[in-house]
Amino acid sequence: MFPVSTQKKYWTFVDETDLIRLRQEANRKFVLKHGANMTEEQRKQTFLSAADERLLLRQYELQLRDFCRRFNPPMPRSVIGTAFHYFKRFYLHNSVMDYHPKEILVTCVYLACKVEEFNISIQQFVANIKGDREKASDIILNDELLLMQQLNFHLTVHNPYRPVTGLLVDIKTRCSLKDPDRLLPGIEELLERTFLTDACLLYAPSQIALAAILHAASKIQENLDSYVTETLFGRPSIDILPNIIEAVRKIRSLVRSIENPPREMVRQLEKKLEKCRNQENNPDSEIYKQRMQDMLDEEDERSSETYARLAREQANDEERLLGISKVLSPSAS
Amino acid sequence: MDEQACPRCKTTKYRNPSLKLMVNICGHALCESCVDLLFLKGSGSCPECNVPLRRSNFRVQLFEDSMVEKEVDIRKRVLRDFNKKEEDFSTLREYNDYLEEVETIVYNLTNNVDVIATNKTIEQYKKENKDLILKNKSKIGREEMELEELLEEEKQQDEIRKRELVRFEQEEKKKKVRVKEALIDELMFSNADAKNILETFANSVQTTKEEVKVVPAIRATQFSTGIKFGRQRQQNFLPVPKIEEGPLYVYEAPRQPTDGPLPPTWEDLEVKGYINHMESEKDEHRAGGYRSNISCLRALQEALAGLYHVSDRTELVS
Repeated sequence: MFPVSTQKKYWTFVDETDLIRLRQEANRKFVLKHGANMTEEQRKQTFLSAADERLLLRQYELQLRDFCRRFNPPMPRSVIGTAFHYFKRFYLHNSVMDYHPKEILVTCVYLACKVEEFNISIQQFVANIKGDREKASDIILNDELLLMQQLNFHLTVHNPYRPVTGLLVDIKTRCSLKDPDRLLPGIEELLERTFLTDACLLYAPSQIALAAILHAASKIQENLDSYVTETLFGRPSIDILPNIIEAVRKIRSLVRSIENPPREMVRQLEKKLEKCRNQENNPDSEIYKQRMQDMLDEEDERSSETYARLAREQANDEERLLGISKVLSPSAS
Repeated sequence: MDEQACPRCKTTKYRNPSLKLMVNICGHALCESCVDLLFLKGSGSCPECNVPLRRSNFRVQLFEDSMVEKEVDIRKRVLRDFNKKEEDFSTLREYNDYLEEVETIVYNLTNNVDVIATNKTIEQYKKENKDLILKNKSKIGREEMELEELLEEEKQQDEIRKRELVRFEQEEKKKKVRVKEALIDELMFSNADAKNILETFANSVQTTKEEVKVVPAIRATQFSTGIKFGRQRQQNFLPVPKIEEGPLYVYEAPRQPTDGPLPPTWEDLEVKGYINHMESEKDEHRAGGYRSNISCLRALQEALAGLYHVSDRTELVS
């Protein structure tokens, strides 16, 4: 249930200023760390700004949607919703320059498949990815743990899909609207578009579901206002209704304000990102390969190290014993 | 009267050392030959009290006083039924009362007081406590098994001891032969005085004998303590401590905050017709325990939960 979930406690924010603040914080941290001895001017030249990052992420959210749509075998909607949640949550506390979104994107989908019990093997999964599949599966499996850690292991996500089903059942039972199934295309459209906004980080899934239903109703020129005010909420106390109306209005306006990022700009930003991204987390870079190799060596080393330590200890013991025996038998010499 | 004598033929132990006195349920004794004579047909009456008796009920008299014998017999018979144990009673007082009752019954039967009434009470007791009697009988069986086990173990120990002894003796013999040969060899080939040689050999034999004497003594103590008694082992268990039981657990349905309008209850699904708008489950789904009302209620609950949600800056944890 949403009211007691980690989603509500840790991942539902008051308004968009909170989200902007968190994203700027993540961006600033990266810039301070990697551009420590640069002037302000140089920093602007090399690194992406928080707004640039946001633009790029929008582009990648579109990619995420298309990737999930084309996915074979077709995945349930809840997997897509959960993947979007993970993607958004991850970049609240991390900079795009630190971890490249194209890698986090697939990892989010892979983790969402697992959490939403859409059973699929890594081989089947990477079959949907163009390019080097071996490398892709390596990246995904490497990043999976990092992703979970960044999500603080809050893996359960409440999506608006089930609330939509519930509300439809309620409308069919308690409302005189004829053929409520006409609402479905409108609902589908709005839910899909909400994932391109920050709505899921600001509102409860049931509120998004209600917004989707009201949106769909207005599209087919039906009015559900009396159902909402009288049937659904019964006789609500005065301070509740305006809040819900405001939430629904806000969600719909968020959806309306979606605009696709301009292509040319995205291309430039991508180029800039390639230059300024954290090379330690770039699977193509020498540093990354070196680090991976070190990690492997470390495991080998650890065993050889223990052996060396044991040998040394033994040698010490022997020396000590010999020393003592010399002291004990001075008459022998 | 020191002498045991058959009351019928007046034969005494003195005259016939193999005299065996037999008693029956009436408690009057007869010698073996008289029993043979009187109960040729298998049954007859006691020559002293004319009570009809069966030959198969005669047994060897263990006690001099035939009254004691009779009491033992009756006690055996009564205890076969009155076989409750102390554990069967909740208080010591009740157990004591029960023991007293048994004693009264035994006394009455041995001294022919109220025989009919007493027999009646026994019958009644038997009827009332049929199960318990049977249960306790099987318990006794277990005790006997234990005893048998004990005997078996003792037998094994015995065998081991015997084998040890045989081996020991053989070794002793061999040793003696060896010593003798050594002595002869010594006498044949050594240049020392024959008397000296003999003396040293005698001494060494003496010392080894002493050593040998010590060894079995130790073994004996080992054997005597080595036997383990099944009963003792059982008594080693600590009694299970009685735990003071607190008040019984009472189930309380978990309460979920909805943060929205109250969802319908299970009954409402049927009564208000929510369930009619859900796809009904197929047979193969029911096999796994799924019913469509489960998903119906869940969807409704999730639809209503969180509708009143207002993000509050005071609650925010980031």
